[in-house]
Formats: sequence, C-alpha cells, structure tokens
Amino acid sequence: MTALAPLTGSLSLYYRALCGRGCELVPYDDDAELRQRPDTATTVRLPSHVHSGPSWYQVALTHRALHHELGTFELALDRPEPFFRRLRPAGLSGGLDRFAGLFGRTALAVEVFTVLEDLRVDTAALRLFPGLAPAYERVRDDELATRPDLAELPPRSAAAEALVRLSLGATSIRLPQPLHPAVTRMAAVAKVLADRESTVESTAEAAIRCYGVLARLPNLTPAAGPDEDVAFTESAVDDGFTLPGQEFRLEGDEVFDVRFAPVHYRDVPGPRYLGLSASGMPLTEAILRMTGEESQAADEFTQRSLAAESGQVDVTTVQRPPEPLPHDHGPDLEDHHHGETGPVHANGRHEFAYPEWDHRAGEYLADWCLVREKRPRSGRSGRAHRDALKRNRALLPALTAQLERMAPLGRRRRTRLRHGDDLDLDACVEAMADLRTGRTPGEAVYSALEPVAREVAVAFALDLSSSTAERLPERDDGIRRILDLERESVALLLEAVERVGDSYGIYGFSGTGREDVVVSVVKSLDERRTPATLRRLDGLVPQHTTRMGPAIRHLTRRLATHGAPSKLLVLVSDGRPFDLDYGQRYGQDAVLDYALADTTRALAEARLAGVRPYLITVDPAGGDYLRTMCDPDEYHVIADPRDLPVALARLYVTARRAWPVT
Amino acid sequence: MTAPFYLPAGDEVDLFRAAYDQRIPVLLKGPTGCGKTRFVEYMAWEIAKQRTGAPPDEPLVTITCHDDLTAADLVGRYLLSAEGTTWLDGPLTRAARTGAICYLDEVVEARKDTTVVLHSLTDHRRMLPLERLGTTVAAHPDFLLVVSYNPGYQVTSKDLKPSTRQRFLAIEFGYPDADLEAEIIAHEAGVPADVAEALAALGARIRNLDAADLVDGPSTRLLVHAGALIGRGVAPRRACDLALVLATSDDRDVQDAVRQVTHAVFAA
Repeated sequence: MTALAPLTGSLSLYYRALCGRGCELVPYDDDAELRQRPDTATTVRLPSHVHSGPSWYQVALTHRALHHELGTFELALDRPEPFFRRLRPAGLSGGLDRFAGLFGRTALAVEVFTVLEDLRVDTAALRLFPGLAPAYERVRDDELATRPDLAELPPRSAAAEALVRLSLGATSIRLPQPLHPAVTRMAAVAKVLADRESTVESTAEAAIRCYGVLARLPNLTPAAGPDEDVAFTESAVDDGFTLPGQEFRLEGDEVFDVRFAPVHYRDVPGPRYLGLSASGMPLTEAILRMTGEESQAADEFTQRSLAAESGQVDVTTVQRPPEPLPHDHGPDLEDHHHGETGPVHANGRHEFAYPEWDHRAGEYLADWCLVREKRPRSGRSGRAHRDALKRNRALLPALTAQLERMAPLGRRRRTRLRHGDDLDLDACVEAMADLRTGRTPGEAVYSALEPVAREVAVAFALDLSSSTAERLPERDDGIRRILDLERESVALLLEAVERVGDSYGIYGFSGTGREDVVVSVVKSLDERRTPATLRRLDGLVPQHTTRMGPAIRHLTRRLATHGAPSKLLVLVSDGRPFDLDYGQRYGQDAVLDYALADTTRALAEARLAGVRPYLITVDPAGGDYLRTMCDPDEYHVIADPRDLPVALARLYVTARRAWPVT
Repeated sequence: MTAPFYLPAGDEVDLFRAAYDQRIPVLLKGPTGCGKTRFVEYMAWEIAKQRTGAPPDEPLVTITCHDDLTAADLVGRYLLSAEGTTWLDGPLTRAARTGAICYLDEVVEARKDTTVVLHSLTDHRRMLPLERLGTTVAAHPDFLLVVSYNPGYQVTSKDLKPSTRQRFLAIEFGYPDADLEAEIIAHEAGVPADVAEALAALGARIRNLDAADLVDGPSTRLLVHAGALIGRGVAPRRACDLALVLATSDDRDVQDAVRQVTHAVFAA
C-alpha cells in the first residue's frame, strides 16, 4: 500500500519536468469522486492510496503529462495529419467541441476519441520512457485483470470495452464471434496511432472510424454466439469508412448509451476534452452545457482554468479552497486535554522544554512548555516568492541599497598574509634578514585591505495563529489573508538580507496548549537558502493559537548559539498572545495579563542573552499591550496590513543600524 | 594544438568576430555549462590562427573570478626574492601586453571595486594603469576583453554595475536545441547517437523545472559527464545519478523528481 501524501512534493516536480507545467495533486478516496470531478488544467486528481508501489503514480502522471506534450487538448480540425483519408468535413475548424458536434451520440464520440488518444499517449510513453516500461506494463496488466466481463455486455458496450483493452496493450481478446469483424476493424485503425508521427488529428480521424463501427452495433442484450479469441494482428485499415450521417435517435438514448468503464491510472474525459474549459465538471454535464454561452456562464475557477489551458496564466498559482473561518480551530482543539499537572518532558532532538513566568505567583514554572520543531510541508513551488518580488519590484532596490550602504562598515588593513595586494614592510624586512642569515624566510609577507563586515544573525518569526487566515479586503494582487502578507513581507526581506550576507532564519509559531507549541522551521539560521526554503515558506498554513513566550525563548536559544555579534529576533504577529491554557487557572479575566507578563519576561530573557527583539503587529490595538512589553523602538503597529512588507523592511533596516557592533 | 571543438548554435561566431574586428569588449550571458568558455576558447584559437605574424603563445588568458579576487590579482604585484622585490604582471596585464584575449569567467563573482580596474581597458583609452609601478600599459592592438556571467545567479546578491555592463556587447547563450546538444554529447562523450539523444531529451525535461525549483538546469557539460560515464561502462541510471541527480540540487524532493525522470528515460 502506497500513500500519495508523502510523495506529492517529488511527484509534482516530476510532472513539471515532464511537461513544463505546474499542477496541484489532489487526493481522492473514492473512484466515483473522480468520475464526478475530472482533472482540470491546474489540478490532477490521484487516489490517496494505491495497492502497488510509487511507480503507479509515476505512470499516472506520465500519461497526463504526455497529453500536453502530444497536444491532446489542442486539436485543430483544419490541421492535416499523415495517415488517414480525411473524413473530417472540409472547412471545419475548431477543437473537440466542434468535432463532437458531428455525431449523434456526443458522449460516445468523446469517449471513443479519449480512449484512442489514451492509446496514442501510452504508446508514446513506452517509446519515450523505456525505463518506465516495466511499471507501465504492470499497471496495465493490473487494469486488464479488473475489466468488466465481456460476456455480460451488449454488443456495442462489448466492442467498446475491447477497444479499451486494446489501448491497455491487450494482444488478444475473447469475444463473441459476431463481434470479431467490428473489433478487428477498430484494431486496425487504432494501430495507426502507435506511429510516432501520429497526431491528435490522427486520433480524431481514427475516432470517426471507430465511432462508425460502434454506432452500428446494437446495444440492448449481450451478443450471442460462441466466444473466440480475436488476435490483434497487423491488418491494413480498410477504406470503407465514411463520416456518420444522420443517426436515428430515441429520446433519452444518451442515457442508455455506452459508458466506458474508467481506467484508474488515466484521467477521465471531462470538459477539457470538449475544448470547453478545465473546471472539472463531468463529461455528461459538459455535453449538456455545450452551448455558446458556456464560457460566459463559467465561474471564476473555470475562467482561470481556461486561461491556464491556453497558457495565459501561471497554473501554479491556482486558487486554493477557502481556508477555515477565522478562529475556527476545528474539532482537534475541542478534544485537546490540557492538564495543569506538572512539567513536560522533551524527547528526541526536536523537542525542547521551557519555563513559563507566572507573574501572579512571582516565579517560573519549570519545564512548563514543550516546544516542538517541525518542518512545514512544502508548498507546490517557490513561484509565489517570485510573484511577491515582482509585486514589490519598486521596493527591493531601495531596500537592498539601504542595507548595502551599511555593509561593510569600512576596511581594515591586515598584515602578514600569504597573499595580498601589497608587500608588508615589517614582514619583508624580517624575511630579508632571514634570507641573509641563511634561514628560511616566512611566506606571509603581504598586506591587504579587507572589508569589515557587520555580522548579523536574524530570526524572523511569523505568527501562524488561526486568525492569520482572516480575509483582507479585496485586493488586486491576489493577497487574501494576513498570512499571505506575512509571507510576502518575508519573501521581500530575505532577498535583501541574502544580498548583504546576514545569517537569517525563518520560523513560524503557533500552539494548542503548553504541551504543544510548534515552531515551524522554514529555514534555520545555519541553513543555506535553497528552492526548498521558498517552497516551505509557501507551505505555511494558519494553525491554532499564539503562545509567544516559548517561541521567543526557543528562538533566543537558537540565536544565542550563533556566532554573529549582532542578533535580532523579529516577530510578526496579528494580535496579542493567547493560548488555550495560558494562565487559565487564574480565571478568564487574568488570561491577557498572564500572557503579556510571560511574553514580556521572555523578551527580557532575550535581551539578557544578547538578542534584540522587535515586534511588528497588524493588530490596530497592538499599541495598547506592546508598549507594556517593549521599548518604544522595539515595536511597530501597522494600521493597514497592506503596509506590512514596507514596514517590516524599514524596521529591519532600522534595527540593523541601531544594533551596536561589538 | 588542435582547434577546440565547438558547434555554433546561432550567429554567435559572426557576432563575436564583428565585435573583435571593432575591438568591442564582449559580455557572454548564459547558464552554467552551456558552452560559454568553450566558445571563447574556440574564438581565441580561430582568431590567433588567422592573425598575421606569429600567433601569441597564449591566445587566451582565463581568469576565474571569485569573492576574494583583488585588483592586484588581476594587475600584478611585487614578489619578494633574495635580490629584493620584483614585479610580476597579473593575468590581465599580461594579456594587455601580449595581445591575447582576456576572459573573466563569472565576472559578477568579483568584488565591484575589483572590476572597476577593467574600465579604462574597455573604452577608447584601451590602457591599464599600474598604480604600484606608477606607469600605464597601453593595450596591444589585438587585445580584447571578454567577460561572462550567469544571469540565473543574479536574482539575489550579485549583479554588474551599470557603468561596467554598458561597456560590453552582450551575446546571450542558452542551452543548445536537442539535436545539436545530442551531437555535442555524442562527440564529447564518445557515446552512440541513441544514448546522446536520450541524454539530450533528459536534459530538456529536467530544465522544465524552473528557477523556483532548481537554481540551474542540468548543463550540457553535466550531460557530457553522464555520457562519459556511460561510455566507460557505467549503467546509465547510475551515471545519471552521479552526474545529474546529485549535481543539480541538494533538495530531496527535486533529487527524487530528477531521479524519477532519469529512471523513466533509461531502462537500466
């Protein structure tokens, strides 16, 4: 049994490598769900678990990626193709929606087109990726083992099922004898699509022919006659095919028509196959909505997907489903039991116990809070980071220029170097004396002017409390939540900090009681920045509450062990400290004072450890409590959250300048 | 000495020649391992071959720039010997005196106060002041300055000053197209065409990972390395593991993805 969740990071990158497009991998638990919500241009749906190995997912993604490489969704009816006598009507242009309109049974036509295109794609996959061939064969064999029983299907459905099996690589099928001619004709047509020169227009031509074969078969009772194997040997495409004419249809016929049983590793036909949109509505609904007004009726998501399909927008910045409502902690919190019964115990390398200041009792509660360091899950890409930089193009040069002006602090001449710009006179005299007296002279006879850098280490700590999920007023730039703004601000700042060479760490903090304070490590102080850093920043999500004290103590500990003489702790928050059991034993009225007192004490501990704290908040009432916790130059209240990136940048420049060099 | 192997991907040879005829300094922009250095070697060899008179012993002087590169490293310094001090020309001075092409690779890696010494060589003056000697070297008529950098690294911390950048004619390099790259791999690594084509196709796919995932896509050089290992009997998957997977990223997810692609392309 293999789970999708741990593989999403590498699999989405694999998909991008194969076709150059981003996608969000969305797990589903029930096959029916896939039929109801097909893939879109920006979303790939895969089962949350499979009974085989991880290569199953690779096969599924390879199949989908090759749709893009092979032009599945770019059918152009007026484009020639190399293999078939053209049956498409002259002068007909457009995509699959126009193509489907040629047929009485639209859904059947789309299903036939899809299965033939899948055959073309899989054949190309085996040709392009020989290393994946064994996995492909395993997956296809497993699929063949679970196909519907042909004996129970009416003739048209049985022939359609034979076509699906052919697309899965079946070399022979046991079929009622009367169906052999039809299936053999379709097999001969389908074989053409295995040629490397075949195009999506070849698939359309093949679909016309196979549709013609299927539409002529009855579809009421299972076919009579003895079952015999039909082998798909090489046979020439007969030329007796014509474009189906007017078909006699009964009302409601569509409902009773052939439904192809889905192949699990393939995407199911949805509106993308009709050239309509990528919004993921099922095929049947897409057909019913196949009108000129479709695109006007489409919702915003559909419009985005349409644009993505045509390459107009970046598909990796897909709208996410709405976050939970503000302060909705979910059931896990309701069930959380917070004992007030004694110290916590840290286990392993990623857990840390910290005291808490009880201002009522005037004493520390030893080992009262358990901090756990965690890696946040990776977002889908660092593209959000680059978008943030684009949005703040005007701000970045000024910010980096300001920071660069501070560093280096100057130059100092270093002497007695083995390499340098000038000879060091004293060392030269000594070396010459050594030479004249027959001793081996020293080699360190140079001096050089070297820049004196201001060594700074800074930890940025982002509040991840659930309130950061609050919606901001409608913005043009797509930033919808306070957390997005926090991210944006750090994205901008880390570019500048990287530029001046300061050591920096990026952390998130949240809690659900004293035994579960989580510090999310996006980038630790000693880590290099990598693309994964940006993905992890993108992956931060709003969590629970704001227990600031232990987070400050933990990051102070991290900074204190860093060698830089100047150490800064920059906390970005959207409200006052609060946690479920933060001083609750003194009653509800005491909670705020208790939390503020502990946080104030933690800030004092930071200063004692040589760490200068700075708090920046988008809580308009922040000044009321921050002034009791910090010096006036250590906090900053932002009236409009949208000013956060600029304000944080300014604060950092100021803080960095203010900190004395030791 | 034989000519360095180089297959033109576009009109870069003609452009360089035109710039050289006018002695306009050249800036080569392009991702790492895409052939910039090989191109300069090729052009230096070609130009030296065509020049009248005796070609210089050293048609190309290459300097690999880095953070600690100082002006003295470029221009020269005094050395201490038993007889006293002697002046030793740096590589830039040596190229200016002899008329070689001086190539500063990854010029943005050098400190800005170091690259300023190039300015007087890159305009109408064509001279190099040697402050410590109190003299000036007039550049040889055949001298040309060429610098290169990788714009992919410029996102955060390094860039050329406009006053430096605007002295050069820029030629942009990209990765060669798949057919040309396969030809290069086949020649350089000595592998059959089908292996070279598979490697070129693999490189193109991995380069689909953009800058947000990968600082730099796999270079032609890395693909050649992989090919060379395959040519020596190393299994293709293993060769790609060593040359591509581990070399392109330290990120586990990216490594896994690149490994999956290589394992899809090569059967063993």
